[in-house]
Amino acid sequence: MKGGLNSVSSRSKFAAALAPFFLVAILALLPLLEPGSETIRLLFVTFVWVTVSVAWNLLGGFGGQVSFGFAVFYGLGAYAAALSLNRGISPILSFLLAGTVAVLASLLVGLPTFRLKGPYFAIATIGASEAVRVVMTNVSITGGASGYRIMETGTFDQLQHFYTALALAVIAVAISMLVQRSKFGLALIAIREDEEAASDLGVNPFRAKLLAHALAAALTGAAGGVYARYAAFIHPQGVFAFSVGVAILLMPIIGGVGTLWGPVIGAVVYGLVHEELIASFPQLHLLLYGSLLILIIFFEPGGVMGLLEKSFRVFAHTRRLSGSHPQR
Amino acid sequence: MMSAVDLLNLVIAALLLAGVYAAMSVGMIIVYGVMKIVNLAHAGFLMLGAYFVYELYARFSIDPLLGVLLAFPVFFFIGLGVHWILIRRIPSSDQPTLTSLLLLFGLWLVLQNLGYLIWGNADRAILTPRTLYVLQIGPISFPAVRLIVFGAAVASIGGLELVLHKTWFGRAVRALMQNSDAGRIVGVNVEKTARIAFGMGIAFAGAAGGLLAMLYSFSPDFGGSFLLRAFVIIVLGGLESFAGVAIGALILALAETFSILVLPASYQPAIAFSLLVLALVVLPEGVAGLWNKRHRLA
Repeated sequence: MKGGLNSVSSRSKFAAALAPFFLVAILALLPLLEPGSETIRLLFVTFVWVTVSVAWNLLGGFGGQVSFGFAVFYGLGAYAAALSLNRGISPILSFLLAGTVAVLASLLVGLPTFRLKGPYFAIATIGASEAVRVVMTNVSITGGASGYRIMETGTFDQLQHFYTALALAVIAVAISMLVQRSKFGLALIAIREDEEAASDLGVNPFRAKLLAHALAAALTGAAGGVYARYAAFIHPQGVFAFSVGVAILLMPIIGGVGTLWGPVIGAVVYGLVHEELIASFPQLHLLLYGSLLILIIFFEPGGVMGLLEKSFRVFAHTRRLSGSHPQR
Repeated sequence: MMSAVDLLNLVIAALLLAGVYAAMSVGMIIVYGVMKIVNLAHAGFLMLGAYFVYELYARFSIDPLLGVLLAFPVFFFIGLGVHWILIRRIPSSDQPTLTSLLLLFGLWLVLQNLGYLIWGNADRAILTPRTLYVLQIGPISFPAVRLIVFGAAVASIGGLELVLHKTWFGRAVRALMQNSDAGRIVGVNVEKTARIAFGMGIAFAGAAGGLLAMLYSFSPDFGGSFLLRAFVIIVLGGLESFAGVAIGALILALAETFSILVLPASYQPAIAFSLLVLALVVLPEGVAGLWNKRHRLA
């Protein structure tokens, strides 16, 4: 009886470990069904959102450091990739460059703030996003407020963009998975729970936070680059917009902060809902997001993952109850 | 080159600006000091304060100065309401938490977009007969509105100082800012003090918003850049010191005023951020920290 239970749980564990691979395979094969360019576009955008959502969660979810400034990395990545693509540099190198630029920006905020106790980091991220948006609307090399166009030679291949974004999202989830299972991830969680205790136990909070921030920035910057290449036109009020920063932090919170799959679910929900909402309530969507944020914080801090876990527990509980009266 | 008169005019402009900056930052520091909550919704209440004074003036032709005075009690009660509905449910902590940051950020989004719903996104301004009046003393000119706003700001901060130093509530606030555990031990009612402190923080945000509305045109996302400025000021001031706020406000106002000599005005928000980074690197404990250190050495 006991052995039977064990084999069931190990089999379900095996299935759970394989599920991500199936998911990726299905997504990769999806274009074979010729779903139409609009669906491909929606999926492309969702992959970009998944990447940044997972990236935010590395620092905000595992490490507990709230950043309001991820639009900075996204936008700088977009511009870096755009400038480099227009100079004929290959896309892959351009995306790497985008990530590198974002990492440098992350150090600018992280180095002065992560040593200090208190709200300095969160405050500085708000400042950084305001400052960078202002500077980018005035810098002439990127066309200032009127935006910047990417001129690539060759024909537009939507599927190539689709696979690039999918690959990046897979990399982001894989990194998140590795972090979660590593000593580094444990260090981040320890910092989130109690920074002083963590540092007493030999964790270097400064280094761990800085590293998580840089890792998240690299992914977000690359995602900005991938998006910029697809959009072929970027402007400061788009990629650096306040609402981009809000979106990036809202997604992991909807899905469930500090979990592996929560940010992915959040990004998918957001990616699908957002397109509809923006279209029907252009002015109202931030109001809805604000209210949603307040409601989630109060009623289900675990997000969708928290809800799922709760309902599974209820389900398992009722099954156990009915299982204990087999004679009926 | 700049003449001595120009220089003096700029210094006076900076000084007058510093008054408003200090008034808009004290509300934030009361809330942070007592509850260790960074009030990101401060920006939203600044904006609401601006529209409050504007509506009173436009609809009932109530003088903006009187409007600012009325903003204190009105926003105090709004603050109490927000505390009752939202803030008191935040688990208390001696550090800003994910919960409090996200909650107040959400509140800011809600307020900002309520602003859009009610007033649209067109810029408004409060124009009174005295808006363009300039007082000329010799070669030095004082824009009258700025003088009045400065006076009102200084008076309100003076009133706050009086409350903080002469009343039981004020002593409780200062005790909690210095050491909340010790404050609790000597019998400070933390819950009640926090509630009133939050109300006062919002009251100051509303009134400061009204003062700012006399100087600048505003729209529903008006508070954002001032939120950043308020952060810089309280960080410069060392997060927990009212005297530090005054010094921080002066430093920021001087930096912004004199920056127009070398930088285009559109870069101004970037100045606040640069100052923030600089302050965090050089003076992480703020000006007050510097002062304390010297005191301890002596």
